Amino acid sequence: MFKYMNPKRFYHAVGRKKFWEFILLAVFIIFFYGPLLNMLLLAFSNSYEYPHVFAQAWGTKWWAYVFQQKSLVSSIAQSFIIAIATTAISMLFCIPAAYSIARFKYPGRKGFMLSFLLTNAFPKLGIYTSIAVLFYKYGLMGTYAGVIIIHMINSMMFMVWLPASAFRSVHRQQEEAARDVGAGPVRTFFKVTFPMALPGIAVATLYTFLGSMEEAQGTMLVGLGKIQTMPVAMYGIVLDSSAVQIGAVFAILLIIPSAVMIFAMRRYIGPEAISGGFKMK
Amino acid sequence: MSKAAKQKIVAYAMVLPAFLIVMLTVAYPIVNSIILSFKDEKTGKFTLDNYAYFFTTPNQLKNILYTLFVVLVTVALAIVIAYLLALYLRFNHSRIAKWIGNLYLLPRFVPAMCAVYAMITIIRDSGLINRVGAAFGQDWKLGLMYHASGLIVMNLWFNIPFATMMIAAGLGAIPDSIIEAARDVGAGRMKVFRAMILPLSVKDVVIAATFVYMSNVGSFTTPYLMGGNAPKMLGIALFDQFNKYLDYNRSAALSVIMFLLCAVSAVVYIRTNLKDREWEA
Repeated sequence: MFKYMNPKRFYHAVGRKKFWEFILLAVFIIFFYGPLLNMLLLAFSNSYEYPHVFAQAWGTKWWAYVFQQKSLVSSIAQSFIIAIATTAISMLFCIPAAYSIARFKYPGRKGFMLSFLLTNAFPKLGIYTSIAVLFYKYGLMGTYAGVIIIHMINSMMFMVWLPASAFRSVHRQQEEAARDVGAGPVRTFFKVTFPMALPGIAVATLYTFLGSMEEAQGTMLVGLGKIQTMPVAMYGIVLDSSAVQIGAVFAILLIIPSAVMIFAMRRYIGPEAISGGFKMK
Repeated sequence: MSKAAKQKIVAYAMVLPAFLIVMLTVAYPIVNSIILSFKDEKTGKFTLDNYAYFFTTPNQLKNILYTLFVVLVTVALAIVIAYLLALYLRFNHSRIAKWIGNLYLLPRFVPAMCAVYAMITIIRDSGLINRVGAAFGQDWKLGLMYHASGLIVMNLWFNIPFATMMIAAGLGAIPDSIIEAARDVGAGRMKVFRAMILPLSVKDVVIAATFVYMSNVGSFTTPYLMGGNAPKMLGIALFDQFNKYLDYNRSAALSVIMFLLCAVSAVVYIRTNLKDREWEA
């Protein structure tokens, strides 16, 4: 085994092509997963003095500290309330729009489709400040409604484009077959079309929910500090944190919802599914 | 009423609510910002001063050039690396390629702030890299924090997986059979790449590049947490104008400047997308 520790030996043992592939894998893992792994270790480091590479003492001291902070715990609740509301409301508006664009032919269809690009074609912060000016006028600053609107804007393009391409991939003949045996249009939709388009809709929903969970800049701007979701609280922690571990614990709390959702929906997630949300076909 | 007319009403009824939301929450605020940007703060009269401020004040002009520099370097590096990685994933069937293929999508779902924080724990002056150096008696000062290079490293972390995903989806649509056919009639690797793979994937490359460009022009979280004080990224400059100086006319002008910077790539994006696919698999 030890002969592999010598790079030269390793090179000759596995061959040139394999050697470079291992290098690629190592660089890839270190760059993309190294920081996350280091943060995970930090979260369980009771003591992490310079210049030690690893903690001198391990434990869950900082987890206990974070859960004692009332404001941090309430920010977790606020995050979930807003994310669930955002997802439900944008489904209510966007899924019908997606179905209409995918299934009906009418003048202006491409224009409607294109209009949803507006939400993603411009710098977010520019849109947020533009809205905030109006929110001041209509008293929506610092309210849940205002924050939910901001979060919805973020995800509307996905929420229309992804399900639209999913609906389009359901064959018309299958719907017609259901109609032929006597199912009404509503029943056909819920028993045939919707289940078949479910993977696309699931990915869009996942994106909306996770996007809302991690949205920070707009919430900070429009929430005026009255609405503190986890990411907004995290800004404060990162910028004036006394111990690097607090931020690490909080960041991991923030990752957990993503990790759980992705694990639950791993069947649906692939490059083809996600990239569909960025293209108009 | 005829069936076709009825269907049209249903179609419009389904798409209009979502469309109106986009108009009210994105289009209307943008138009409002454009009007605001030409108004004097006190008198409300027409003026170009709000724009002149950003192009004549040396610090503000520096911010614009700095942002363009960071964004263009990010786009160039991210796209080149992503293209190579996507090619590797598409045409290499080794176990390592499979591992990377499974792992590269996950960073996409890590909340932006957590990723930035994780990177900070590595690259700050008392971060992991410096501590590893100290263990060998070295003092490695990376100088990445509060510097353009740090922002670019972080942007690459975010955008390489995204661009790889978009390009991989495009490359995945190229069937093996046509490549084998070309190889059978004697085309070399480079010839196959130049004559088939490159033209067939160029559309996805353009889409990926425009999205990377657009999302970085207005980036906020990364520069907010790791950027320096001067020069600033435009996202931060806008946030300061709006939140610190409460100058809504100037922030409207800066939003419009950012919109225009993005409009260039939005046009490219729409043109690429609306072109009918010339080649069908």
